Amino acid sequence: MGAAGAAAGLAACGGGSAGGGGVPESDESHTSFVMTVWGGEEDKNAYQARIDLAKEKFPDYDITLQLIPSENYEQKVQTMISSKTGPDIMQVAENVNVYASKKQLVPIDDLLSESGLDLEATFGPVGANYTWDGATYGVPDRSGAMVLYYNKDLFDEAGVEYPTADWDWDTFLEAAKALTDPSKGQFGYGGVGWWPQWFSLVAQNGGNVLDPETGAPGVNSPEAVEALQFAHDLYFTHKVAPTEVDYSNMGPEMGADGAFQQGLVAMNSTGFWAVGGNAGIEGLNWDIAPFFHGAESAVSAFGSALVIPTAAKNPKGSFEIIQFLTSLEGQTPIADAGQDVPANLELQQSDAFLDPDWLEADVNLQAFPDSAEMIFTPKFIPEWNEMQKAIDDAMASFWLGESDAQTTADDLQGRLERVIKPSE
Amino acid sequence: MTSTALRPPTAGRAASRGAAPPRQKLTPHRRKEALTFYLFISPWVIGFVVFLLGPMLFSIYLSFTEWDSFTAPVWVGLDNYITLLTDDPIFLRVMGNTAYYSLISVPLGMVVSLFIANLLNKKVRFRKLFRTLVYLPHLIPIVAVALIFQMVFAPEAGPLNQALALIGIDGPNWLRDADWVKPALILMSLWQAGGGTILLLAGMNGIPKELYEAAEIDGASGFRQFWSVTFPQLTPVIFFNLIMGIIGSFQVFAQVFILTGGGPDNASQMAVPMLFDEAFRFYHMGYGSAIAWILFVVIMAFTALAFATSGRWVFYESEVRQ
Amino acid sequence: MSAMTPAPTAPTAVGGGRARPTRPRTLSAFRSGPLTYGLLVILSAIFTVPLVFVVSIALSSDATVSTGQLSILPRDFEFSNFVKIFQTSLPVGSFLVNSVIIAVSSAIGQVLSSSLVGYAFARLRAPGKRPLFFVVIATMMIPAQITMIPQFWIFSQLGWIDSFLPLIVPQFFSNAFNIFLVRQFVTRIPYEMDEAASIDGLGFFGIYARLILPMMTPILIAIAIFTLTAMWGDFMGPLIYINSEDKMPLALGVQYLTSTSQELQTPPWNLIMVGSIFLSLPMIIIYYFGQKYMYEMNLSAGSAGVK
Repeated sequence: MGAAGAAAGLAACGGGSAGGGGVPESDESHTSFVMTVWGGEEDKNAYQARIDLAKEKFPDYDITLQLIPSENYEQKVQTMISSKTGPDIMQVAENVNVYASKKQLVPIDDLLSESGLDLEATFGPVGANYTWDGATYGVPDRSGAMVLYYNKDLFDEAGVEYPTADWDWDTFLEAAKALTDPSKGQFGYGGVGWWPQWFSLVAQNGGNVLDPETGAPGVNSPEAVEALQFAHDLYFTHKVAPTEVDYSNMGPEMGADGAFQQGLVAMNSTGFWAVGGNAGIEGLNWDIAPFFHGAESAVSAFGSALVIPTAAKNPKGSFEIIQFLTSLEGQTPIADAGQDVPANLELQQSDAFLDPDWLEADVNLQAFPDSAEMIFTPKFIPEWNEMQKAIDDAMASFWLGESDAQTTADDLQGRLERVIKPSE
Repeated sequence: MTSTALRPPTAGRAASRGAAPPRQKLTPHRRKEALTFYLFISPWVIGFVVFLLGPMLFSIYLSFTEWDSFTAPVWVGLDNYITLLTDDPIFLRVMGNTAYYSLISVPLGMVVSLFIANLLNKKVRFRKLFRTLVYLPHLIPIVAVALIFQMVFAPEAGPLNQALALIGIDGPNWLRDADWVKPALILMSLWQAGGGTILLLAGMNGIPKELYEAAEIDGASGFRQFWSVTFPQLTPVIFFNLIMGIIGSFQVFAQVFILTGGGPDNASQMAVPMLFDEAFRFYHMGYGSAIAWILFVVIMAFTALAFATSGRWVFYESEVRQ
Repeated sequence: MSAMTPAPTAPTAVGGGRARPTRPRTLSAFRSGPLTYGLLVILSAIFTVPLVFVVSIALSSDATVSTGQLSILPRDFEFSNFVKIFQTSLPVGSFLVNSVIIAVSSAIGQVLSSSLVGYAFARLRAPGKRPLFFVVIATMMIPAQITMIPQFWIFSQLGWIDSFLPLIVPQFFSNAFNIFLVRQFVTRIPYEMDEAASIDGLGFFGIYARLILPMMTPILIAIAIFTLTAMWGDFMGPLIYINSEDKMPLALGVQYLTSTSQELQTPPWNLIMVGSIFLSLPMIIIYYFGQKYMYEMNLSAGSAGVK
């Protein structure tokens, strides 16, 4: 097996029918579809319910769900795509362009116009998120802003007014301080160690971790450094948020979400999925509000879309299924199960979502649609995965208080510049 | 097959295991034998070509390319190697970590194994029980070992820190502290030192008692007897296992992947997990192939080094030095 | 002590030349005192504590796990965990079956191929045999990572991804270590037996199949045991090649248990430890029954030793 022969074989194995816009060839007789998603058990149940609905609508189609743990997702999907056993429908999020840039996704513009599905009208601004180089690749499936969860009992005890969308950094900090009580092991805020959280702070301060046009990193700009400093101070100057050490003292694998449920942390910022979990905790009296703002209003959102890998044998069939799954009917189980915020605007604004049966408590789910106009989306660069690793690596000591904002930002900037190739 | 007496001396029967027959036309019988030989070894040969040689050549080629496994490979010449050796601080750190882990855990493990084997070699009651308890951890598959130690290293509830607390030491957060994560991995590997112990015990069983008696007569203490009799006799076994141990530990994967993911900030990242990340998570298969080859060269270098220095401390019975 | 003056150079065995029939005193090197016992007890305890800890966690209730109140000695005795593990959303029963299939098939493959190839190297003459054997030994030095990526590509082109084939099929092509073992073993079988058999009319294959193969049983059992234990615990292979949950072996599946739990809660450590026990127990059992074959293997390999 000479190297030359192998090279020839390799050239043949790359790319499929994706030319750049044309309707892909579809083998219409191919009727079994594999859909890969990530998440935990709740997600599995919600997706399966939607697939069951899809099977009713398309009785000839055989659709199998494959749930992959999020830390293994890229690797598993890679083995599938490169061996052409690729999924027929794939969930993607910010990593969409890792695959789009390598021509591994089917562009769906023609399919969209044929079917009459208008992404902007159905899903709002997030409809435009999943494009690359002028072509559209994904249909939004879930999207929801990060919101602020707060513990009403702890607020009442401390005599602090409940959060509103008008809060800014100062009001927030005041409240957090009032809600922190070391003698009780109670902290005001869960923390911003997760990238959607501190990316929001940077955006609110007018900075850009990634340039919205080119994707070039800018994490050591003065605005960004200031935001990082604010984050740092929450932990180490004002001590309103538990550090990793504090969390490990609360219990193994304890994080902000768990601490909030146990009443050890009065506020937490995360996505929709905590609603279901929190609702199940007896004795927890809580609600949500839109995330506070800084100099500007900006908040991260957690979205994902469904795409069609080029390895799919029947892209048209895949698209039909996707179209159904992202329709009002196909998205309803998301709301019914309380899994996440459905991307479908109609569903989002309906009672099925805002006042669902599974949620007995009176929770202000309106916070989600209200946050929609604050959402900012970082540029989805092809090097998203490497960027995440660089962030994890560079910020490890920062979150332990062992390094200051400017040094960390400069270090991270250097690492990102090595890894990211800005476009034009 | 005729009797040996009729065979020409140069192609004697006993030499069939090694010496090639002289270059003369093979008798039909010998030709048949040769064909049978090649037929019988064909499984290995096929496996060698398809699963080893071919992939090796392919891997060399890949290391000169940038390939994401979806699109065709792009030739980049020596770029991967140059970047790895001069421009990738993570890789240099990773190789350092791997060497640190290997060169400490293997010899240290041998020392521990030797110490325990020496204890067990004495006349002790319940020897079999002790031996079993010491050996048991060695039998546990590495995935289970990693998961077990994830619990053992827990900063509050884990037995290790609790034991340290008993003697007044505040144990670190083993898996999250950049200074302690590699020692944690080394400790974990020491837990399985029972494997080496059994080997050494087998070796010790083979040492003639007379040597000890002679040393006893000379007035040697127990300790001295160990150094002058036991240890030299064991050096071949120790040497072989040191080599295999180093080769193996340079390839450490499962523990790092499961326990630390290479963190924090690559403090515990090792060569093979990094290769895995680069190839299968970031889709840089050419880069990953280059890592594999650099790793290979490094392993060979250490092996050669070990062989070169072995003359000084490995004692083979056939060489009696005055 | 007798008045014998020992030779000053490295001692050679004098044999039972001395006049003492019994040894009332144990040699210093082998004397054990309280220190010895003390050390052994401490070391055994250190080695055993993690195992006790595992059992203790495996028996813990869910409440204990989620609040992180784990203790070394068992506090709860939830034996039901051993049943509950089969009721998670992951097909643990399949994990076990898959592990068995992979391990046993691999063992069969190695035994068949290594016996044949090792016999050939031990008994058959052919030009080029010596250099070939040298190559065989040399391949032991090549780390598996070199071939990992290309092998992955080969298997993906063959369409074998997400099946057991990439794990099992290579086992039917033997490997250097096993060839070495078989060869060493067979070399110790007297050649006269082959000669006698050939006089009886057996050809090379007949000698192999009827004479040598049965005699090879101890070493083949050892090889089977090695292969079984190696493939049972194999993690990286399944990680790369197996995607569907129902095809995963236990080694991979137990690690999956740590990931696919509910996003907000801690992984079910009690069940994970049950899984670890399932993963470890067969190894202990195999060792218990297979010990003497390992010793036999020791003999064959000389200084090679057991890993």
